[in-house]
Amino acid sequence: MSMSNKRKRIDLLLQTITYSAAAIAVLILSMIVFFIFRNGAGLLNLDLITSDYHAQFYNGSIGEVNNFSNTDKPDFLTEEDHYSSKWGIALSDEIDKQGGLMIEVTYIADDSPLKEMVDKNNPDNETFSLKQGQVLSTIKFYDKNSALTIYGAEYMINELNEVDTFREIVFSTQGGGIRGSLITTLYVIGMTLVVALPVGIFTAIYLNEFAKKNRVTNALRSMVEMLTGVPSIIFGLMGLAVFVPLTVNYTSANSGNLISGSLTLAVILLPVIIRATEESLKVVPDELRSASLALGANRTQTTFKVVLPSALPSILTGTLLSIGRIIGESAALIFAIGTAVKDDISIFGKSTTLSVQIWSLMTDEPANIELASTIALIILITVLILNLLVKMISSRYMKKFV
Amino acid sequence: MRIGGINLNTIKQWLTNIKNTFSVNSKKEFVDLFIRSLFLITTIISASFIIIIIIFILREGIKPFVTNNDGLGRVNLVRFLMGTTWLEGRAFFSNLYGVGFIVVNTIYIALLSLVIAMPIGVLSALFIAKIAPKRLSKILRTVVELLAAIPSIVYGLFGSGVILVFVYNLGKVFGIQSKGGNSVLATVLVLALMILPTITALSEVAIRSVGKEIEHGSLALGATKTQTNFKVVLTSAKSGIFTAAILGIGRALGEATAVSLVAGNARSGPSFGLFDTTATLTSTMLQGLKETIGLDYDIRFSVGIVLMVVIVLTNAILNFVKRRIGNVNVK
Repeated sequence: MSMSNKRKRIDLLLQTITYSAAAIAVLILSMIVFFIFRNGAGLLNLDLITSDYHAQFYNGSIGEVNNFSNTDKPDFLTEEDHYSSKWGIALSDEIDKQGGLMIEVTYIADDSPLKEMVDKNNPDNETFSLKQGQVLSTIKFYDKNSALTIYGAEYMINELNEVDTFREIVFSTQGGGIRGSLITTLYVIGMTLVVALPVGIFTAIYLNEFAKKNRVTNALRSMVEMLTGVPSIIFGLMGLAVFVPLTVNYTSANSGNLISGSLTLAVILLPVIIRATEESLKVVPDELRSASLALGANRTQTTFKVVLPSALPSILTGTLLSIGRIIGESAALIFAIGTAVKDDISIFGKSTTLSVQIWSLMTDEPANIELASTIALIILITVLILNLLVKMISSRYMKKFV
Repeated sequence: MRIGGINLNTIKQWLTNIKNTFSVNSKKEFVDLFIRSLFLITTIISASFIIIIIIFILREGIKPFVTNNDGLGRVNLVRFLMGTTWLEGRAFFSNLYGVGFIVVNTIYIALLSLVIAMPIGVLSALFIAKIAPKRLSKILRTVVELLAAIPSIVYGLFGSGVILVFVYNLGKVFGIQSKGGNSVLATVLVLALMILPTITALSEVAIRSVGKEIEHGSLALGATKTQTNFKVVLTSAKSGIFTAAILGIGRALGEATAVSLVAGNARSGPSFGLFDTTATLTSTMLQGLKETIGLDYDIRFSVGIVLMVVIVLTNAILNFVKRRIGNVNVK
């Protein structure tokens, strides 16, 4: 009796340990998601996705103003927004991403004279406008001291109200956007798949449908399999040593570029795509092949018309998982492309994908953890959706064929 | 007529032979031949990348040991492999690179992370496979899949946002000042989190494939369900669980970006203290990225070779151990 009680106690203890172990997995996922959401959700909006990372500076001037604005302060502006009805502009004091002061344009009226300024850097160009969301850093006047950021928005508005014209206004976009990295990521996904899908699928078909079952075929297959054990940073070194010189020699590129990065990723994905395709080809029953061959079709016709169609769902799920892998890859691309965040994207130039931008932001001094978390949030959501899609497709496929 | 010692007629004969072998009678057969050749070529390309990787990394990685390195002098191979300090060439105008301590750090950290992740992973797998009700195990399986799908850079971000703070405060409790939390412990924790889903998923497959007869046999002999799970099921699945450990440690050894955000980039070592800064082979390779030429560029490839050797050797040793442990009726 006492023995059995002891047994029960041990069992209970072991069970509790097992339960807590499983709870840890859930806890980790919740902690990661919570952390990323808490830090990243604040910055997530359309502006972030459509704007540049590097702030763009403008110097505008204005001649003799004939028509001042006569719009009253709109109701949606608050006490914090200092408004000049003469110039039709509202400014407010804000804190920038580095924790410094900045003066943001929170509203600009349709009839504001600041909508038609001369670009001092390119005077021949058409007039340009101050826009909502931009940052005003200095207003230089003709006969008094300049209004600077440190004096605050209210001072700037008061100074503006006193004059009828000014010498120069310095303003900039906010920067900190991810448009460049987003476009790079899309380019890289496209170019990688264009290379990796045909090569991977063809290889899988050859290994499974055409090749004789012999030692050579097995050797080729295990050479492909060996790639799965190689860490991605080693693929990065290969990209640096093989694809970067190759693209520098034959294209207008002069350093790591999107093509060398995509080719490197294509190599990383080859074993993934080959295995996904091969496994789906193996499921197709041999009777189908024999029937097709017996009707006089040759191997190629049989493969394309009979075998491949039933393997398509698996190839699709393999592709979706590959996209997830491309979005998440960082180490290989740090070597094969570089770490410089860019706004103007060319496939022959440097740039970063979203993942590499996170690394760049985190290794900068000081680290920009908010923006990094926002990007991580976008990646997390995308990867989540891709995985759920894969689950959906494969469960539907299972129901249909098994 | 002879070209380079070969009779021209022989060449003609070869060509005719080739033509006959691939005699193309119809468009259909031509397409078949074309597709077969194209697919063969892509297969050879796919298979050759492992060789390309080895050749090119060796070619670049050997340079520091055989050339003068633009005046810095040849890097001494023995000192490189056994060294306990890492001095960057450009910054210190030296060729005094040593990866010995970094190799020790890398293996130490990978093993520690395995020690943390293994019990949690295997027990979660046992829970999912044998204990949890069906619905719950389905949810948990999805959770593990999602954890596995999270890119490593996100783990790195989580590491530097949460784990560094945790380790820093933990150090303060013990009266130890760590460099903002950058430490062996932080690196180990991040890696443990990253390899946990791999180990859980693979162990679960191993546990589920244990034969029902063994389990029933144990229960029939009067063992409780929990006793059976721990003494029979886990032991029977040990070969598969070991495979999970091998893959887990492989991932831990090769992980780069997440580690580089929390390791602290120590330049000498080895670091065994949990709150000391450290450096792994991968985090060292991510140093000095601005170089595009010269010793600091080439040496990364040398470190890459060392990393490959460490991974291959670890795999070989663990596979040897796995064979010794043996296999109990696992399908």
